[in-house]
Amino acid sequence: MSMFRSKKFDLGCFTNVKVIRDHSKRKAFEAAEPERQVPSSPPAKDATTRTRAVAQLQLTQMHCYTRPTQIRNRCIMGGKGRGVLRDFKMSRFNFRMQAVLGNIPGVKKASW
Amino acid sequence: MSVPRARLLELVKAQCQLFSTTFNPEGVRTGNKILRQRLRGPALAAYYPRKMVTIRDLQAEFAPLGLWTEDEKGDDRLEHIAARKARGKGAPKKKSAPPGPKAKK
Repeated sequence: MSMFRSKKFDLGCFTNVKVIRDHSKRKAFEAAEPERQVPSSPPAKDATTRTRAVAQLQLTQMHCYTRPTQIRNRCIMGGKGRGVLRDFKMSRFNFRMQAVLGNIPGVKKASW
Repeated sequence: MSVPRARLLELVKAQCQLFSTTFNPEGVRTGNKILRQRLRGPALAAYYPRKMVTIRDLQAEFAPLGLWTEDEKGDDRLEHIAARKARGKGAPKKKSAPPGPKAKK
């Protein structure tokens, strides 16, 4: 969704369309988070089934880019969406490459 | 000796007034749990590294001083593109106007 994309390119990692999309989703979620919290926490007295349904409806009416479940951690070296190590933000193969090259501080290939 | 419930409730109420907490004897769900949580947005939005200073920026910054930095990667790329173009394998030209109606064969 181009309206969520930043007008000026602002990524410093590997870029492909999926990375840009995920980045836009992250920023859209950040902007809409307070707005999402209101229907997520219905008030005390009238937490009836009806108010709950209304709140749910409000959440579903919001754009899907503002939904946190749309966000997926992707590899910053290759843009892959699977097998990404959260601590290093890298896919398993890129992590191995960088670790073997010694580019990741404190990571060493095990051998015993 | 047991204390009546009403008395206990009064005590809790007074406590709540003193420490400015919400008096909620029924334990009704208030949604405070959600509102009290820290916002996750800033942490999530900071996942990808942002654009830093590039060689092109350096070149633009120091060009007035007569200093030049070689952008090896960029030069390699341009050279590669030029070689492809020479072989007739370059990217097609951008169209200036949207395509018109297709002519019938």
